Amino acid sequence: MTALLAVEQLGKSFGGLRAVADLSLEVPRGCVAGLMGPNGAGKTTVINLLSGLLRPDHGHIRLDGVPIEALPAHEIAARGIARTYQNVRLFAGLTALEQVIAGCFLQRGASLLASLLGLPAARAAQRRVRARAMELLAQVGMAARAEQLAETLSYGEQRRIEIARALGAEPRLLLLDEPTAGMNAAESEAIGRLVHRLRDSGVTVLMVEHNVRLITAFCDRVSVMNFGRALVHGTPAACMAHPGVQEAYFGRRDDAARIQALR
Amino acid sequence: MANTLADLWEAYRSTLGFAIVNALFGLSTYAVLSVGILSFATVTYAAAGGFIGTQLALQLHWPTLLVLPAAAVAGAALAWLAALILLRLDSHWMALASLALVLLTRVVAINATGLTGGVSGLSVPLFVPFVVMPALLLIAVLLFWRLGASWYGIAARAVREDAVVAATIGIPARRIRMLAFVISGATGGAGGMALALMLHFLSPDTYFINVAFTMIAAVVLGGSYHWAGAIIGALVFTVLPVLAQAVLPAFEQVLNGVALLLIMIFLPRGLIDPRQWRLRRVRAR
Amino acid sequence: MALFADQLVNGCALGALYALFAIGFGLVFATLGILNAAHGTYASAAAIAAYFAVDALGVPFPLALLLGVAAAAVLALAVDQVAFQPLRAQGGGMLGALITSIAAWIVLDNLADDATGHQSLSFPLSSYPSGMIHLGAIAFARMQGWTILAMAAVTVAMHLLIRRSRFGAAMRAVGWNEAAAALSGVNPRAVVSATALLAGATSGLAGVLGAVLTQNVSYTLGEGLMLKGFAAVVVGGYDDVRGAAVAGVALGIIEVMTAQYLSSSLRDGITYALLLGFLLLRPRGLFGSAAFTRA
Ligand SMILES: Nc1ncnc2c1ncn2[C@@H]1O[C@H](COP(=O)(O)OP(=O)(O)OP(=O)(O)O)[C@@H](O)[C@H]1O
Ligand SMILES: [Mg+2]
Repeated sequence: MTALLAVEQLGKSFGGLRAVADLSLEVPRGCVAGLMGPNGAGKTTVINLLSGLLRPDHGHIRLDGVPIEALPAHEIAARGIARTYQNVRLFAGLTALEQVIAGCFLQRGASLLASLLGLPAARAAQRRVRARAMELLAQVGMAARAEQLAETLSYGEQRRIEIARALGAEPRLLLLDEPTAGMNAAESEAIGRLVHRLRDSGVTVLMVEHNVRLITAFCDRVSVMNFGRALVHGTPAACMAHPGVQEAYFGRRDDAARIQALR
Repeated sequence: MANTLADLWEAYRSTLGFAIVNALFGLSTYAVLSVGILSFATVTYAAAGGFIGTQLALQLHWPTLLVLPAAAVAGAALAWLAALILLRLDSHWMALASLALVLLTRVVAINATGLTGGVSGLSVPLFVPFVVMPALLLIAVLLFWRLGASWYGIAARAVREDAVVAATIGIPARRIRMLAFVISGATGGAGGMALALMLHFLSPDTYFINVAFTMIAAVVLGGSYHWAGAIIGALVFTVLPVLAQAVLPAFEQVLNGVALLLIMIFLPRGLIDPRQWRLRRVRAR
Repeated sequence: MALFADQLVNGCALGALYALFAIGFGLVFATLGILNAAHGTYASAAAIAAYFAVDALGVPFPLALLLGVAAAAVLALAVDQVAFQPLRAQGGGMLGALITSIAAWIVLDNLADDATGHQSLSFPLSSYPSGMIHLGAIAFARMQGWTILAMAAVTVAMHLLIRRSRFGAAMRAVGWNEAAAALSGVNPRAVVSATALLAGATSGLAGVLGAVLTQNVSYTLGEGLMLKGFAAVVVGGYDDVRGAAVAGVALGIIEVMTAQYLSSSLRDGITYALLLGFLLLRPRGLFGSAAFTRA
């Protein structure tokens, strides 16, 4: 059986900078995969490539065996990849509920004409979408905030709403870019548990994460990147023990001077 | 008493008619603004609707009531073509390009004498009962209300606020914007024909840059986050000159400008601002 | 042949006016992000100020020209302070400034119309250098020569100022990202004011010279410049002085040649058709760089 997501020899450069270089990666169905790497390793660029916001210079991205690297972002979403952003990007001026309803666009279930005429089928579809959005808000623990303007909520709350919005697209693969950034330990734990619940309900998750404790506790497998390349794939424990990973994060002694010079 | 009322109605009926036409133009501008596009091309659709509609009635003897939907179709078709050009550009260029379309419109209006009567203009001896005007606006309001309440409304809002994010939740931003253009064109085209019915005379200057600027100003003044804003703004912009004329006739236009400036500085999000309502609702709890 | 050469000079002079106008308009658009509908009114104001200086005060023409330019610069600064600065303070986008610029345009156009008594005035023939210059077979009015020279000088000076000087770097920094510019030690307020002054001055220069060349001192002068200068901005690219200058002159020549050899009713049509063509094929102008995308 093929992996849900298979990335082969993916490359992306910005001017002279190779942000992603010949990266290969697999995410099996029904697992929580972690993507680690020091700052500037190219993790967000990978997420952008997977979600179609950037075109790769070369390489393939296959979802369930089907190449998707040439598709526009909204097509990729329709094929079942949804994402969140490292810096929360909610729609200004919309309530929490409306954000998630927007996320349910693919589930709208009625033609524009039917909606305009207010046909019963369209009204039923609209009620369904609303109920589903409420359900998703409840799933991320935000039901009580449904009617509030999203920009008035706390950062952690906004992150949860962003996850609920992504889930609205009913993804097979959910990409989370640093979902716990700026959260305390308890809040991070909660996100970890949410991710597990999602996996158990059939959503495969690929998450960029720096928190080693969280990765160890919640990820089934991990890929570590540095300078746009994959250093190692494997179980969290195996990856943490890998000397290349240690070096990437903490640097060799004699590297310290070089890094100083680079700054 | 009845007489004075009748006089009053006579005096202000045309003001009301122009307010309705302006409201249609405002809605047309709002249609694209609501997906994050500043376009002046409403004027172009209005010209297409006005001239083509009038010729259908004069040359082909179409009944006047049939000419209004025909004008809407003409405007929509032209807007679709314009969108093919404009949607390739990014925002600043798009605004400039739509302004260029307005300038071209006048050149076409001057030179396509068969359609427009050229510089000497085109008289429009067509008459409809006045109730057609409010009926037209009512249809437009129904359309925008239903649009806003459907999935289109929320998708448009998402595209306006962040088209990139919208794409990653499956919203085809380009298709939504295309649709917005077509809606804008239909509303503008119908408005153009309505203006022809109000003025009974069209010239190349009828549909020109001042109309575009007034419409944008009206929408921003009324509030560009709700369709009602376009209507309120158009109303203010139609009544303001009438008032200014009554107060200080010599400086009517100057007064208009000053009022616009003050409103924009002190009410930058417009008179109708749903976000304020929501904030207030949350605070009230 | 002589006719062609004469018309070439006529076109260059007319185009020089468009170019001068476009340089200032583009400068404001690139640096301040404002689509300034009032930019043409500075030209009318300068022409009117210079006219009254000559007509009522008997000031010699070169001095009146300077007065007109200075008046336009001050007017531009005042418009910036009154109409744009309050919005900047609120962080309003390009839409708000467009609306307030429309307001300023309405006010200033009407005041200009009142100032000239609702008619078109013209500088007395004796008040400016009005002789003809003969260069071989070509003959052209002295003022046309001055206009072309002025445009060339302004283009070179502005290009150097923007691309080569520290001030130009600060201007580009503000255009790119005002907050970041402030952090790196640029004073945005000073840059904004200087940009407004420069834009007003160039528009004013176009106004006074245009008033002499076209024998028209009224608010319609600025409106006319606006409609054509705008085309030069799009064709030339709003963030490049050279592009605006070349496009302005080219449009002037094309306009004059179309009127001479094709039909005068087509003169505007050709300009705007060209404009549309450019939008389709080279949407970032003559010297525009390729579009870059942000994810
Ligand atoms: N649009 C872009 N244009 C130019 N360079 C970019 C762009 N996006 C990313 N980069 C560069 O590519 C490299 C990888 O960036 P990326 O954001 O993918 O890193 P990251 O692993 O997500 O880092 P972080 O942990 O800080 O989020 C960085 O050097 C970054 O500066
Ligand atoms: Mg990142």
